[in-house]
Amino acid sequence: MVGPLRVMMLTWEFPPRIIGGISPHVYYLSKNLAKDGVKVYVVTCDFPGAPDHEVIDGVEVFRIDSYKNPSPDFASWVYLMNMNMQKEAAAINKTLGGVDVFHAHDWLVANAGIGLKHVFRRPLLATIHSTEIGRRNGLHSDYERMIHETEAWLTYEAWRVICCSKYMVSHVKWAFNLPEDKVVMIPNGVDAGEYEKSTVDLSQFRKRFALPEEKIVLYVGRLVYEKGIQVLINAVPKILEKVNAKFVIVGNGYMKEPLWEHVKRMGLAHKVLFTGFVDEETLRNLQKCADVSVVPSLFEPFGIVALEAMAAKSPVVVSDTGGLSEIVEHDVTGVKVYPDNIDSLAWGVTRVLLDEGYANRLRENAYRVVLEKFNWAKISQQTKSVYERVLNEYSRTLWA
Amino acid sequence: MRVIIFSWEYPPRVVGKLANYVKELTFQLAKSEVETFLVTYHDYLTGEFEEEGVKVYRVTNPVKIHISVLTWVLTLNQEVERAAANIYYKNGEQVDLIDVQDWHFIPAAVTLKKALSIPFVYSVESLEDHRSHGVNLPFNMAIKSIEWLGMYEANIILVKSYWMASEVARIYNVPEAKVKIVNPEAKNWFKCLLKVYRGLKEA
Repeated sequence: MVGPLRVMMLTWEFPPRIIGGISPHVYYLSKNLAKDGVKVYVVTCDFPGAPDHEVIDGVEVFRIDSYKNPSPDFASWVYLMNMNMQKEAAAINKTLGGVDVFHAHDWLVANAGIGLKHVFRRPLLATIHSTEIGRRNGLHSDYERMIHETEAWLTYEAWRVICCSKYMVSHVKWAFNLPEDKVVMIPNGVDAGEYEKSTVDLSQFRKRFALPEEKIVLYVGRLVYEKGIQVLINAVPKILEKVNAKFVIVGNGYMKEPLWEHVKRMGLAHKVLFTGFVDEETLRNLQKCADVSVVPSLFEPFGIVALEAMAAKSPVVVSDTGGLSEIVEHDVTGVKVYPDNIDSLAWGVTRVLLDEGYANRLRENAYRVVLEKFNWAKISQQTKSVYERVLNEYSRTLWA
Repeated sequence: MRVIIFSWEYPPRVVGKLANYVKELTFQLAKSEVETFLVTYHDYLTGEFEEEGVKVYRVTNPVKIHISVLTWVLTLNQEVERAAANIYYKNGEQVDLIDVQDWHFIPAAVTLKKALSIPFVYSVESLEDHRSHGVNLPFNMAIKSIEWLGMYEANIILVKSYWMASEVARIYNVPEAKVKIVNPEAKNWFKCLLKVYRGLKEA
């Protein structure tokens, strides 16, 4: 191939538009691919105040009008947004003289990715970050089945499907009936450098959340059933029997009110702090202050929150499920406990809080693994080699 | 001249009166030595067929379960794009124009125009305002926004009556020069239509 590899990323969110995990994922991946000499064009939805066209960290970003069409519901909005995204991306790609590959992130950009593949006859890659059948624990309506089928269609049209954990690889193969050699595992990453930027005095910062004699137990995530926050709340009394701690709960969700009522009924309102949504810097500082970070999920495709805690050098206690099982090695980089088990979770948390030497060992090991295995430079190299493999296969087809 | 017609109905799939009109149109085109391709939908009779000189491509919806005709149409468009792109690449990357019948495959026509520089005619059989009797729910507004896109992006808007020409101008604010009227009931309708096609090809 002559000249640099050129890829067009399609994503419904990209900073400053941040809705879930796809936005930071595509940002760090694109930025590191650019550092690796790949020319990356991101086509994404618009956001108030963000320009239609800009270059960020070597990545060329195009933002399309995503609220042009009135929509009766979210899924119809997604399909109509895809109509506009595909139209704009087609014009951009023509002006650019044609990229080598298209890379779509989740069903939210399935139509655009598939259409571009066919009109330009170029390979399409798809990263499946999550599935409808996993999020909803089954398919219960035509709405959910339609999204499931759209996900299946995207994996069908994609040359390769990328998943972030071994767990997701097997889940996606099962959900969409994919052949073994179509699915590739490339882990998600975390930028440990981001945790060294803040100049805040942590001992002062800590006082906003806990008394000096209290250990900080941190939970970060949506307050919804599948994240298992109720398991942690129910473990609070058991943990407090052994160690004095403050439970800091970051995030929002439909379970916030009931959980808060429950905490008050237990007479522990002074021990549990619900902060709601916090800005990124506060979050990072909290993760750095935490004496233990808990991820008690019942369903977890990857578990980026555990990785972030490890990058912040906070010891982690996670449930032994989904992607979390792969991120953490028990007794080496963290503590694994039985999912949905209050006693097991209380045991794990107290174990870390009562043995400082053990906790420090976990911190150091975890941080090393973050740098070695989950760093974006390595992840982007793995992604680049998938592009190259696909282009090599493509060069021997009728489309080339 | 090489032409692709997009229509969501074509015999044996007959939903309304559009199917038979498109059948007659493609038949006449093929007879006049226009290389005529037709891309349409069928549940299961998919593939390439040669029918009375017309090359018919029938595609099905890759997503079977839907919540409305709107979502159904929007996932079907990529299959229409695939069929049209196949015609384009198999024929020396040269197609003179696409004629899209009603709103259903406007997204495909617009993308093909942007990607492959194929101009398109938007043939208006009916408008959402008339079909829904002016109901302005988000669902109808969404379909209207697709019709608007077609009006905006089309090189020519083809209507079948003076009344429809005035409706198109009234509802979508389309410049008069962009609208052509060909009444299929008139004796010389096909000659007029061919003139429109030729005009676009030469432009």
